Amino acid sequence: MNNYDIIIIGAGSVGVPLSYYLAEAGADVAVLEKNCSVGRGQNRAAIGGIRATHSNPAKIKISQKTIDIVSRIDVEYGFDVDWYRGGYLFAVYTEKHENDLRDLLELQKHYKLNIDWIPPSRVEKLVPGINSSGLRGGTYSPEDGSASPLKVADAFYKLALDAGVDFHFKEEVHKFETNSNKIKTVFTDKNKYSGDLIINAAGGNARDIGELLDTDIPVFPDSHEGGITEPVQRFFDPMVIDLREGNISANYYFYQNVEGQIVFCMTPKPKIPGKDTNCTSKFLPEVIRRMVNLYPRLRNIRVRRTWRGLYPMTPDGFPIIGYDPKIENMFLTVGMCGHGFMLGPGLGEILSEVLIDGDHKHDDILQELSPERDFSGMEKLE
Amino acid sequence: MERIHNHPILEEKTGKKVKFYFDDQEYYGIEGEPVSTALIANDIEIFSIHRKADSPKGIFCANGQCSNCTVIIDGIPKKSCITPLEKGMHVQTLKHLPELPPDDHRLDFSEKKEFSCDVLVVGGGPSGLNATIELAKQGFSVTLVDDKEALGGKLVLQTHKFFGSIKDCYAGTRGIDIGKKLAQQVREFDNVRVCTNSSVVGIFEDKKAGIFKNNKSYYLINFKGLVVSTGAREKSLVFKGNDLPGVYGAGAFQTLVNRDMVQSSQRIFIVGSGNVGLIAAYHALQAGIEVAGICDILDDVSGYKVHADKIRRMGVPIYLNHTIISANGKEKVEKVTIAKVNDNYQPLLDTAKTFSVDTLLIAVGLSPVDEFYDKASQFDFPVVKAGDASEIAEASSAMFGGRIAGLEMSRKLGKDIEVDESYNQKAEILKSEPGDVYPRQKIHLKNSFQPIIHCVEEIPCNPCTSVCPNNAIDLVENKGDLTDVPEFHGECSGCTLCVAVCPGLAITLAKKINKKYAEVVLPHEFVPDFEEGDKIAMTDRDGHYLEKGEVLQIRQNRKYQTWIINARVSLENATEIAGIRIQEQEATQPLDKAEFEYIPDDGIVCQCEMVSAGEIVDYIKSHRVRDVNQLKQIRVGMGACGGNTCSTLLPRIFQKAGVDWEEVQQGTKRPLDREVPMFAIINEKAVEDDE
Repeated sequence: MNNYDIIIIGAGSVGVPLSYYLAEAGADVAVLEKNCSVGRGQNRAAIGGIRATHSNPAKIKISQKTIDIVSRIDVEYGFDVDWYRGGYLFAVYTEKHENDLRDLLELQKHYKLNIDWIPPSRVEKLVPGINSSGLRGGTYSPEDGSASPLKVADAFYKLALDAGVDFHFKEEVHKFETNSNKIKTVFTDKNKYSGDLIINAAGGNARDIGELLDTDIPVFPDSHEGGITEPVQRFFDPMVIDLREGNISANYYFYQNVEGQIVFCMTPKPKIPGKDTNCTSKFLPEVIRRMVNLYPRLRNIRVRRTWRGLYPMTPDGFPIIGYDPKIENMFLTVGMCGHGFMLGPGLGEILSEVLIDGDHKHDDILQELSPERDFSGMEKLE
Repeated sequence: MERIHNHPILEEKTGKKVKFYFDDQEYYGIEGEPVSTALIANDIEIFSIHRKADSPKGIFCANGQCSNCTVIIDGIPKKSCITPLEKGMHVQTLKHLPELPPDDHRLDFSEKKEFSCDVLVVGGGPSGLNATIELAKQGFSVTLVDDKEALGGKLVLQTHKFFGSIKDCYAGTRGIDIGKKLAQQVREFDNVRVCTNSSVVGIFEDKKAGIFKNNKSYYLINFKGLVVSTGAREKSLVFKGNDLPGVYGAGAFQTLVNRDMVQSSQRIFIVGSGNVGLIAAYHALQAGIEVAGICDILDDVSGYKVHADKIRRMGVPIYLNHTIISANGKEKVEKVTIAKVNDNYQPLLDTAKTFSVDTLLIAVGLSPVDEFYDKASQFDFPVVKAGDASEIAEASSAMFGGRIAGLEMSRKLGKDIEVDESYNQKAEILKSEPGDVYPRQKIHLKNSFQPIIHCVEEIPCNPCTSVCPNNAIDLVENKGDLTDVPEFHGECSGCTLCVAVCPGLAITLAKKINKKYAEVVLPHEFVPDFEEGDKIAMTDRDGHYLEKGEVLQIRQNRKYQTWIINARVSLENATEIAGIRIQEQEATQPLDKAEFEYIPDDGIVCQCEMVSAGEIVDYIKSHRVRDVNQLKQIRVGMGACGGNTCSTLLPRIFQKAGVDWEEVQQGTKRPLDREVPMFAIINEKAVEDDE
């Protein structure tokens, strides 16, 4: 039997930074991961955007912390994770989207976020050559940015290893032994483990872990596809989001990473529920037509690779953070709704303060994202 | 550098001469040839400066797979090896990252192109063509997709006569001609749609394949079954200087020399003595390029002995138990150094020999290109693989494999047919590795011609037995199959057909003239640079010089495109003489003093992102890497080629880092298999008819 203070299930965008912060705070931590290495669930599929400009305080606070951590990880720990503060730009072409975003601005400004409405001329300056026909302007948040999900996961993996975290790869949790609503033993296909606290950070598989314990965790993955191009010299800075609808898509977005590659992603409409991550033939023709229409300059760039990843969704579109209502010693950090990468590092630091130090300063976050909340609200900007 | 004008087998390339510009200088090339070829023909070998390493890059795969040959063409970065030259093109060296030029004209047209077929055959080489023929005969609608302009795969690069049997796989016929014959057959079927200049870039789970065609359009093809006949990729090798322009694969070399007809080098050295390396030497000599030597780390030639003997006779030394330790040069290869290895295959540096060459060919083996097969299997689609994609072997066996694959696919799609067992047997025999070597019997010359057979190793080959009008050559009954060695018995009419047909150039005729002299008849696959009455250097079977013989007669057998040379030689040597030396020994002399740097870990593994072996080993150790995907963090496999070049090197790199390759999770393959411009994906510019 392997005994630990804390066992984290899932070595992904959330589990890896969390393991580091917990170990750094003094806990004896193990991470159980069914894949062969870190970030092979959905971290590998994240396109790398990190923004604090959300619509609710908890996500704003957590991702602000992430930006703080990721933007300084180079200086503080010596890891180059391709952080680039290029900003986020919602380019707006319809009255409805203008109204929606202007409404949201009030809330975002209330939380002191650096975001504002900008006129078409400013949009064209930020994205030289963007389609100006019908362009109404947009919201722009210059302090948001991007980093390489792969490199961030890798940096925290190295930090976690150095902090003494035990990673157990290629081990899938398949059974729990409980005693009066407390997990006593975690069984993987190879070993058994015990810990005082079990953290469910299983991303797209969070609900399956719950099922092993007869507790219903409302996380339902759907899938998005993404792609990347060859690298070219930088020609625009921000993450560009187009909220309009296409033939088989809702919004799509793209940015230019530090390598010079355009990374892009599309939200399918209707949604495609389930865990299938095989590439479809529909994605490229749809997303590329929309991208070239919005930004004709892109027509000459070559697409290098595509992939598909999961958005582990919750009924209201907000993450679930807190103790499981039924299992006493299982803490949930699940349902990131496609934002695991931008929430993970901040969440890791916050939760180490909550779980190790017993700090109450984050109670507002925990309350908002509580597993026992009313799930009937809806995130405004998915 | 020059174009090849006087090739013994290939006709001179013709075409319209057009002006183009490279870095603002005027040059001329042939319209429609790859831009890379036009550049090389004009002595331009540095195409780009790598954005990370700041080092020069030249041609590498010549196959559209890697992106080493990227240049700026009319303002846009393009792979020069798959971009046809047009009049007035402005080509520029790509320095570091390219600029994406402003292009603000609105999108006013886009189209989704989609069609359906029963079977999609990917790759139109020997196996794909044969699979297509079988499927077409069964009445299926077949789409055959190939990324080259001409069907035939690597057959179109092969100027040598093929081994095997005449009846089953065109033995004695040159690869280029076999390719043409098969392509002709395929094009005769109404139910076959041929898409050349087209690459399959993705197999998607909704049973569609994405096809990138003519560099400008994108099709989705719905299919019921898939035949993967995508051939092989060349393995690469890690050594100091392996990223220099001038280091590339034998396949790229054959493309430049035999397809594009440019004399791409003055003098080459070849690593690897498999059939690919041996044949590359032969192709070089035919193109007027000197071959300083071939080395192989093993203690025996890996290819057919008849091939090796043939190359040695032509005057190319083969260094066994030798490995390459460095390639040096300022901006491209100028020198290469080899050294003997010890029992653990480690180089003995005091045995180093340096050769002055401008090109180093890597021919250290092939690995199957079977990713689409794996993908389709994962999706449970009916799929078969054939040829090198299934198992690396000779083209003769690939042809049989293709037929079998076609029949198997027919069965998977519901046809009630059995694959003839004899097909499987033949395919197996044609795959045979070289077998035993037999000593040759003493021959007493007579006053009339008789064949001297210098072919003494068991290989699957018998055209000599088929062409003899007297049926006087048979395979010695030993194993009882095609691999047995041939033997002459009975009467010889002196017709020279066996001399002309033998792919190994391993049959001569000889007769006694008088007590002192004899006449020999030798095959020759070079444009003779001698005349009747001249004295030319003759060698024994293994390439040792014997004497100068006087040329009596020069003829050409047109059917087999082989010159037949009669010469007067000493009676004493007549049965030993097996060939004519082609190149002077000066071409093969090492420098007086070896010049090299031996830094084994300095070699580049990932050519796209310029990551060295040492960097990867360190990372594997520090991060306890057990998953190839983790290496993406240091950008291995993130480049344009999608890990195709480095993947064959990784097992050894992991081994070096102390990790058992068996334990390592393989990298994930995802579409696109090749980079496709956005305008092509939406068919913005292309309005073209299907073939």
